[in-house]
Amino acid sequence: MKSSQQLQSKAGRQSLFILRIFIFTLSIFFLQIADLQSHPTTISKTNGSKPLVKKMVLVPAGWYQPFLKRATNKPIAVKALKMDETTVTNAEFLTFVKANPIWRKTKVNPLFADKNYLAHWKSDLEIGTGNLNNPNAPVVNVSWFAARAYAQWAGKRLPTVPEWEHAGNGKPKDLKNKTLIAYILEWYSKPNPTILPPVKSTYQNQYGLWDMNGLVWQWVFDFNSFVASSDSRGSNTDEALMFCAAGSLGVQNKEDYASYIRFSYRGSLKGKYCIPNLGFRCVKDL
Amino acid sequence: MTTRFFLFSFVLLFTLSACNTKKEESKSIVNTKVAQPTPSEKELSESLYQIQDTFQTQDNQPFTLSQLKGKPTVISMIFTHCAFVCPRLTSDVQDIEKKLGSDADKVNFVLVSFDSERDIPAKLKEFANKHELDKNFILLHGSENTVRNMGVLLDVQFEKDEDGNFAHSNIITVLDPYGIIRFRKEGLGQDHTQTIQEIRKYY
Repeated sequence: MKSSQQLQSKAGRQSLFILRIFIFTLSIFFLQIADLQSHPTTISKTNGSKPLVKKMVLVPAGWYQPFLKRATNKPIAVKALKMDETTVTNAEFLTFVKANPIWRKTKVNPLFADKNYLAHWKSDLEIGTGNLNNPNAPVVNVSWFAARAYAQWAGKRLPTVPEWEHAGNGKPKDLKNKTLIAYILEWYSKPNPTILPPVKSTYQNQYGLWDMNGLVWQWVFDFNSFVASSDSRGSNTDEALMFCAAGSLGVQNKEDYASYIRFSYRGSLKGKYCIPNLGFRCVKDL
Repeated sequence: MTTRFFLFSFVLLFTLSACNTKKEESKSIVNTKVAQPTPSEKELSESLYQIQDTFQTQDNQPFTLSQLKGKPTVISMIFTHCAFVCPRLTSDVQDIEKKLGSDADKVNFVLVSFDSERDIPAKLKEFANKHELDKNFILLHGSENTVRNMGVLLDVQFEKDEDGNFAHSNIITVLDPYGIIRFRKEGLGQDHTQTIQEIRKYY
C-alpha cells in the first residue's frame, strides 16, 4: 500500500516534471516568436514608477546618403537598431515626469527648457484636456535636453541624423499613388492641426514605423550638426553661409524639397526650444 | 655712463609707451570699469556650472565645469586632427590671452574637443605642447554625449565626417565667473577688442 502510494506520487512527479518542461519550451518558443515580430522592450530603469513598455521595431542596417554634400561625399553606414514604433506620447512622458521631479514644468531648469516647456499640459502632473492633450498624442513642447533625459531614463537614446533619415526613408506601406516626397510636402503645406491627432494616425513604413512624417517634427541627437557649407576647413565665410538666403546649399537631390525643409528646420533649433509641433522618438542599439 | 644709460632707457620707455597708446586706452577701461553686480537668481539658473558631466583634462584629471568658478572663462571647441581651422582658432584664443597681458592669470582658457574618439588626454597634452599653451589653458576630453551637450549649450554646430574629422562652426564664448554666457563671437581671425572688453568686466 505504502509502496504503491510512493510509486503513484513518483509517477505524478515525473509527469509534472515533463509538463513543466513542456510549458517552459512552449513559452520560450512563443517569446521568441513575439520577439521576432515586435522587438518589445521593457524599460527596467523606472525610478520607482511603473514599468513602461514601448513597442520598438527593427530598422535593418543600411546606407544613408547625406542630403547636404560634404568634402568626402560618401554614403554613411547606419547600423541596425531598434526604434520606437511611434513618437513618445503625452501619457508616456507623464510617467517620466512623475519619476523625475526635476523635469516637471514648474521645476524645470531654464538652462534646459524655455518657458514653453509642456505649455499645453494643465499642471505638473496633469495632461489636461486641450487640443494637444490627448494622452495618446505625441508629446510636444519638449526641449532636446528633456527628450534626451527621457531617452536616458528609458535606457535608450535619441537617433542621430543618419539613423533618423535612414529609418524615415523607409517606403510607406500605403500611400496610394503618392511618392513619399509628395506626401511630406502636402503635410508641410498644411497649418498645424488645431487638435493634434494621436500617434498611428498617418502612415506606417516598411520597417513598421508610424508617423515618421506627417504628424510632428522629431528631435535628433545631433540636430545641431553643421549645415552651413560643405566644408568649413579653409573657409571663413561660414557665417555668411549660415542662412537660407545664402543661396543653394550643396545638396544631393535638388528636387527633394522635403529634405531642404527638414534640414533647415533642424538647423534653426536650439537645445532648449519647446515647440508645439516638435516631439521625439527613441532608439536602442542591438 | 650711468646717466647716459638712464637717459637711453628713459627715451626707450617714452617711445614704447607712445607705441602702446592703444593698449593704454584699453587699459583705461579697466580703471574705469564698474564692479559687476552679483547675478540674479534667474541669471544664475542659466549657469553652465550646473552641467554635471565629467570631462578629462590634458593631464588626465577629471574635470567638471563648476571648477572654473571664480574667474571669467574663454571657451571654444576644436579637434586636434584639424589641419587648418582649429590651430587658427586656438591662436585666436592665445592672442586674446596675450592681449590681456599680466591679467591673463585671472582668466580661464578652455578648449573642448569634438573628437571623443581620438582626442584622449595624451593627445590633448601633445597639442598643448605643440602650440605652447600655458598653464591657463584647460583642454577637455569628453564622451560623445558630453561633447554634444556642450556644443548645444554653446551653440556650436558640428558634424563628424566619414573620415572621422569634423565640420564645425568657429565660436569663442565668454563666461562670467558664475558660468553664465556673456558674449560670443563667431568666425576666424576676428577683431577681439570687444571680446577682451567683455572679459575685463569680470575680473
